Amino acid sequence: MLKVAIVGCGKIADAHASQIHRIKGCEIVGVCDREPLMARQLYERFPVKRYFSGLTELLREARPDVVHITTPPESHFEIARLCLEGGCHVYVEKPFTLHEDEARTLIALAMEKGLKLTAGHDDQFRHVARRMRSLIQSGYLGGPPVHMESYYCYELGLSGYAGAILADKRHWVRRLPGKLLHNIISHGVARIAEFLTTESPQVIAHGFVSPLLKSMGEAEIIDELRVIISEEDRITAYFTFSSQMRPSLHGFRVYGSKNGLVLDQDQETLIKLRGTRFKSYAEMFIPPVVMAGQYLGNLRTNLRTFLDRDFHMKAGMKFLIESFYQSITDGAPLPISYREILLTARIMDIIFAQLDPKRSQSEVYDQIAGHAILPH
Amino acid sequence: MSQTEQDDLIAGRDDLILITGATGFIGSRLVASLLGRGFRNLRCLARPSSAAARVNALSTWSSDAGRIEVVRGNLLSREDCAAATRGAAVIYHLAAGRGEKSVPDAYLNSVVTTRNLMDASLAHKCLRRFVNVSSFTVYTNAQKPKSGLLDETCPVEEHPEQRGEAYCFAKVRQEEIVTEYGKRFGIPYVIVRPGYVYGPGNEGITGRVGIGTFGLFLHLGGSNTIPLTFVDNCAEAIALAGLKRGVDGEIFNVVDDDLPTSRQFLRQYKKKVKRFKSIYVPHALSFTLFYLWERYSIWSEGQLPPVYNRRDWRASYKKTRYSNEKLKTLLGWTPKVPTAEGLTRHFEACRNRGHNA
Repeated sequence: MLKVAIVGCGKIADAHASQIHRIKGCEIVGVCDREPLMARQLYERFPVKRYFSGLTELLREARPDVVHITTPPESHFEIARLCLEGGCHVYVEKPFTLHEDEARTLIALAMEKGLKLTAGHDDQFRHVARRMRSLIQSGYLGGPPVHMESYYCYELGLSGYAGAILADKRHWVRRLPGKLLHNIISHGVARIAEFLTTESPQVIAHGFVSPLLKSMGEAEIIDELRVIISEEDRITAYFTFSSQMRPSLHGFRVYGSKNGLVLDQDQETLIKLRGTRFKSYAEMFIPPVVMAGQYLGNLRTNLRTFLDRDFHMKAGMKFLIESFYQSITDGAPLPISYREILLTARIMDIIFAQLDPKRSQSEVYDQIAGHAILPH
Repeated sequence: MSQTEQDDLIAGRDDLILITGATGFIGSRLVASLLGRGFRNLRCLARPSSAAARVNALSTWSSDAGRIEVVRGNLLSREDCAAATRGAAVIYHLAAGRGEKSVPDAYLNSVVTTRNLMDASLAHKCLRRFVNVSSFTVYTNAQKPKSGLLDETCPVEEHPEQRGEAYCFAKVRQEEIVTEYGKRFGIPYVIVRPGYVYGPGNEGITGRVGIGTFGLFLHLGGSNTIPLTFVDNCAEAIALAGLKRGVDGEIFNVVDDDLPTSRQFLRQYKKKVKRFKSIYVPHALSFTLFYLWERYSIWSEGQLPPVYNRRDWRASYKKTRYSNEKLKTLLGWTPKVPTAEGLTRHFEACRNRGHNA
């Protein structure tokens, strides 16, 4: 029985507890939050053995095999380091750390201690994302991607989470290097990083405060971001984050030399784009029918998955956690490579540095030049 | 206010009164009620996210009727709590997190904040009463017979975590912490549990009448009485709960007189605000549907969240009678706005806002 602990008992911890509870062969031996009331409420609502307000106490008394870190990102590095030092495997919610350097240190420590790490990029393990990955691995694109487009948008409600950030100048999100972007975009960036092959892609980022936020007097929260990523004139990608565009997309388009794929995360659909064309007018009549058939196929798949009781909103998280646990217990490969975690962190570092008016671009690239080799 | 009336209160006109959630729907009416009673030293705590217009409106009242100090603060900050509670003789705690679907959010912004506020008030040693504004949501109707009376002696949810409602869980635990601090540290407290507070500013139809879904309104309340309280009446009750001598440790339900049935409310709403399609779902059928949803949620390991379940049904749709006898007897409260007038004003506000189900 794998002993699991959760550190940080806020909103996302609920999702972790729910999904861990669905996985056989593990138990939650402790939850921890520096606010004991928060630890207690999680303990009361899920099958959890004990609750703690101190990490040291949790590690010493509950002796977990795996720790899930679901605290605000500023604390990820230090908590993960302490857990690794304490001999635990660690699942770190996204964003993995604040900077690539921290991610690199954690990975080195995990490797040194023979422990495992993963990042909370659970969107990459939703049913539709897994179907896409299988197709790409089977060669559907006709080789590596030529171009990718990743959309990860966010609707700013003026109440709730976004409202709190906008109104509170002391909110922890404002202390992150990339502020609001830092807490959201890693899902969309990781989708691109998964298919990049070099270590230092060129990144050009353009971000700005939307007119809506400006009208509210907001000057520092960037909520519109466009990024161009390219590596050695072979693979290119666009990343888009927007709080204003509608529909608020969460999707991925990938084009190979032969075919393309369009993933819509919100609708859980995956559409194949044929690289060849029909002759003359046939191109205007046959593909719409084929597309309709594909959408019907997606509907059938979604319904079947729902009837199979595996269509949970956080089904991707369950799969990721399960795969991570299997890598620990059975020696299966890690669900997310360390290379991908580091590359995601690196791209985010470069984006935020470019958005920071106080830093020059050469300074940014100088900083990462010393870390050219990423572990596979 | 006469001298005799003043003697019946625990606070004088110049004593400092703190109101959290003062810019909210009920909070702003409470401030008006206290000013109307001649209290001249009010401190209003507003969240950093409170709309500037609402905060400014409170400040404007200051020049008219007394000193209103509006402070922006976050109840999750111990420092903000210490500053807000300094010198307060009475605290009206209305700020709460509904959390919508997130229990941790609701809990953090209801329970942790309440604990912080009570801790801070302990340090100042001048608090005469802590008024915790709770809700009818804490009650369970599980053991009560159909058409039975719901009053302050009725039990609260023993397992609020099974109700599938973040607000219920947070409010039950909030009341527990208030009671605990009352017992452990001797903080004098009163708990007020309003029914559904309606009026201009909270337009719409309470879930006790029914649920709007996919363009169709499912009318679930039927002939049930709806526990309404008009916002001004509710604010009066809360004001009195914080001021009247001799009610420490008491709990007060707040509902108005002459309450309408769900069917009457819906009929009037359609007539005076907007026509829309609704379908009546008999109680036996709605209970069955809630039961099936609950079972499916468990069977599917939460593929559908357990937001509809038998506990929820009993709390919201079981036929129930309500009483405001204790409020009238111990606090001398009477609803100044009759229900007929309250509903007229409510529907007018709904119409003006173009609100629909």
